[in-house]
Amino acid sequence: MKYESQGVAKLYFIAAIALFVGQILFGVTMGLQYVIGDFLFPEIPFNVARMVHTNLLIVWLLFGFMGSAYYLVPEEAERELFAPWLAKLMFWIFLVAGALTILSYLLVPYARLAELTMNDLLPTMGREFLEQPTITKIGIVIVALAFIFNIGMTVLTGRKTVINLVLLTGLVGLAVFFLFSFYNPDNLVMDKYFWWFVVHLWVEGVWELIMASLLAYVLIKVTGVDREVIEKWLYIIIAMALISGLVGTGHHFFWIGAPDYWQWLGSVFSALEPIPFFMMTLFAFNVVNKRRRDHPNKAAVLWALGTAVMAFLGAGVWGFLHTLAPVNYYTHGTQITAAHGHMAFYGAYVMVVLTMISYSMPIMRGQKAGNIKAQVVEMWSFWLMTISMVFITLFLTGAGIAQVYLQRYSDDPLPFMVVQEKIAIFYWLREAAGLVFLIGLILYIYSFFAKGKEVEFVEG
Amino acid sequence: MNAEELELKRASLSALASLLNLTVLPVIGFIFLLFLYKQTQAQTIGRYYAVLGIKINLAAAIALIIVTGLMLLLGGFYSPWTWVFVISYFVFVHALFILVATWILVRSWTGKKLTTTFL
Ligand code: HEM
Ligand code: HEM
Ligand SMILES: [Fe+2]
Repeated sequence: MKYESQGVAKLYFIAAIALFVGQILFGVTMGLQYVIGDFLFPEIPFNVARMVHTNLLIVWLLFGFMGSAYYLVPEEAERELFAPWLAKLMFWIFLVAGALTILSYLLVPYARLAELTMNDLLPTMGREFLEQPTITKIGIVIVALAFIFNIGMTVLTGRKTVINLVLLTGLVGLAVFFLFSFYNPDNLVMDKYFWWFVVHLWVEGVWELIMASLLAYVLIKVTGVDREVIEKWLYIIIAMALISGLVGTGHHFFWIGAPDYWQWLGSVFSALEPIPFFMMTLFAFNVVNKRRRDHPNKAAVLWALGTAVMAFLGAGVWGFLHTLAPVNYYTHGTQITAAHGHMAFYGAYVMVVLTMISYSMPIMRGQKAGNIKAQVVEMWSFWLMTISMVFITLFLTGAGIAQVYLQRYSDDPLPFMVVQEKIAIFYWLREAAGLVFLIGLILYIYSFFAKGKEVEFVEG
Repeated sequence: MNAEELELKRASLSALASLLNLTVLPVIGFIFLLFLYKQTQAQTIGRYYAVLGIKINLAAAIALIIVTGLMLLLGGFYSPWTWVFVISYFVFVHALFILVATWILVRSWTGKKLTTTFL
C-alpha cells in the first residue's frame, strides 16, 4: 500500500462482503418460496425478501464502489486521501442507515414504514430497487456528497490520470442520477420515465464508467502494460457506453405509454449497447496477452478476465436477446428478464468489485498477494459462483422461454399461475444452483483466513 | 512490408475474419477466410491462424446449425420444450464461440500461437 489512507477501503470491503452474504441468503430463501409458496410465511413474505435481496445488492455494490474508489484514487492521484476521517465517518453512517433500513423492511409492514417515515411529505417509496424510505434516501445523498467531495478533492489536487477522471465522472453520474428517485410524478408514464432514469442510466450508463476504470486499474497493476495503451481503450469504451446507453434507455419505453418512435430509437440504440461490453472483453484479453509480468496474484487476474467475459455474456448477449421491440413484446417482464438481470449484475458489477477486493485486500493486509492456499480457495470460489450463476441464468432462460410460449405465444394461451406450475422444474434447478452459489460464497470468505505457503514476487 | 510482417498481417486478418463470420458477417467472413488461407504459405503463423479460423467456424457450423436443426427435427417445431432447448443452447454456445474467436484474435496480435494456459 503506497498511501496509508487507502486502508479505509478495507472497512468498506468487509461490510460489502457481509451484506453480500445477506443478499444471497435472501436469494435462496426466495428461490425456495418460488416452489414452496408458504415457506417462512408470514415471517418473511416473498415481496419483503425480494426487496431485501435487491436492496442489499445495491447497497453492498455501493460499498464496493466506494471502497474501490478510496483504494484506487489516492494511488492514482499520488497523494493521501483528502479527508480520511470523513471516509471513516461516512462508512459508519452508511452502515447504520443501511442496516436500519433493511431491518425496518423485515420488522415493519411496508405501508406502516411509509407512515412512520412520513413518506407523504415527499413520497419516494414503492419503486423497485428504490424502496428506501425518503429519510434513507436523503442519508444516501449526504453520504454520496461527502464521498464525492472527498474523492473529488483528492483527484483535483493530485495527479490527474484518465482512470481517476473516468471514475470520478462515473461516481458523480451515479449521485446525480440518484436524484431522479426523489421525483415521483402521479402520471404513471412519467413515473416510469424517472424510475428508468435512475435504474437504466446507472447500470447501462455511468456504472459502466466505474466498471471500466476499476478494471483498467487492476489490469495495469497485474499486467504492467503501458498506461497509454489502456487509456486509449478507456476513451473508446466510455464513448461507446454513453452513445449507446443514453438513448438506449428507450428499450424500457416500448410498452409504458410513451410515443411509438421509442420502439425504433430504443431498439436501434440498445442494440449497440453490447459494443462497450464486448470492447471490455477485447481489452482485458488483449492486455493479459500482452502482459509484461506475471503478477503473483493470479486470483485477481482470474477475476478481471472473468468480469470481462461474464459482463459480456450477461449484459451484452442476454441484454441483446430481449432488447429489440418485436422480441421484447413477448419477453417483457418474464423470467428472461430475471435471467438477464442476474447474469448482468453479477458479471459486471459484482465481479468488478470482487476483482478490486481480490487485488487490494492482500496488499492492505501487508502482502503482495494471498498465500498459495488462499488463492486456490479463492479461485475455487470464483468457479463455483460463476458457473452456478451461468446455470441460474440458463434455468431462468429456459423457464422464460417456456413461459413466453405457453402464456403469450401459443394459440390458446394459459393463465399465469398454470404456466408457473408447468415450469416449476426450472425453479427447483435454479434453487439447486443457488445453493452452489452460496457454497462458493462461503469458500470465498474462507479464502481470507486460509493459511499456506507465501507466494514469491518476481518483478518482470 | 517484409514476408514476416505480411504473415502476421494475414494471421490477424484471418482471426478477424473468423470472428466476423461468427457475428456480423456470416458466410462473407468465411469466404474471406478461405481467400486468406489460399494466400498463406505452409508452416507460417498466417497459415496457422487461417486454419484455426476455418476449424473454429466449421465446428461452430456443426454445433450451431446442424445440432440446432436436429433438435428442431427431433423435438418438433410446435413443442414449447423444443424452443426452450434450442434458444438457450443456441444463445449460449454461440456466445462461447464468439468468446473463443475473440481470444484467438487477441492472441494473433501477439504473433504467437495458442497456448493451453492463460494465467
Ligand atoms: C451490466 C449491465 C446491465 C445490468 C446490470 C442490467 C440489469 C437489468 C435488470 C435488473 C433488469 C430488470 C429491471 C426490472 O426490474 O424490470 C433489466 C432489464 C432490461 N435490460 Fe438490462 N442490464 C444491463 C445491461 C443491458 C444491456 C447492455 C441491454 C441491451 C443490449 C439490456 C437490455 C435490457 C432490457 C431490454 C430490459 C427490459 C426487460 C423487460 O422488458 O422486461 N440490459 N436489466
Ligand atoms: C450475486 C448474485 C445475485 C445477483 C447479482 C442477483 C440479482 C438480482 C436482481 C437484480 C433481481 C431483480 C431481478 C429483476 O428485477 O428482474 C433479483 C431477484 C431475484 N433473485 Fe437474485 N441475485 C443473485 C443471486 C441470487 C440467488 C443465488 C438466488 C437464489 C437461488 C436468487 C434468487 C432471486 C429471486 C427468486 C428473485 C426474484 C425474482 C422475481 O421477482 O421473480 N438470486 N436478483
Ligand atoms: Fe436498460
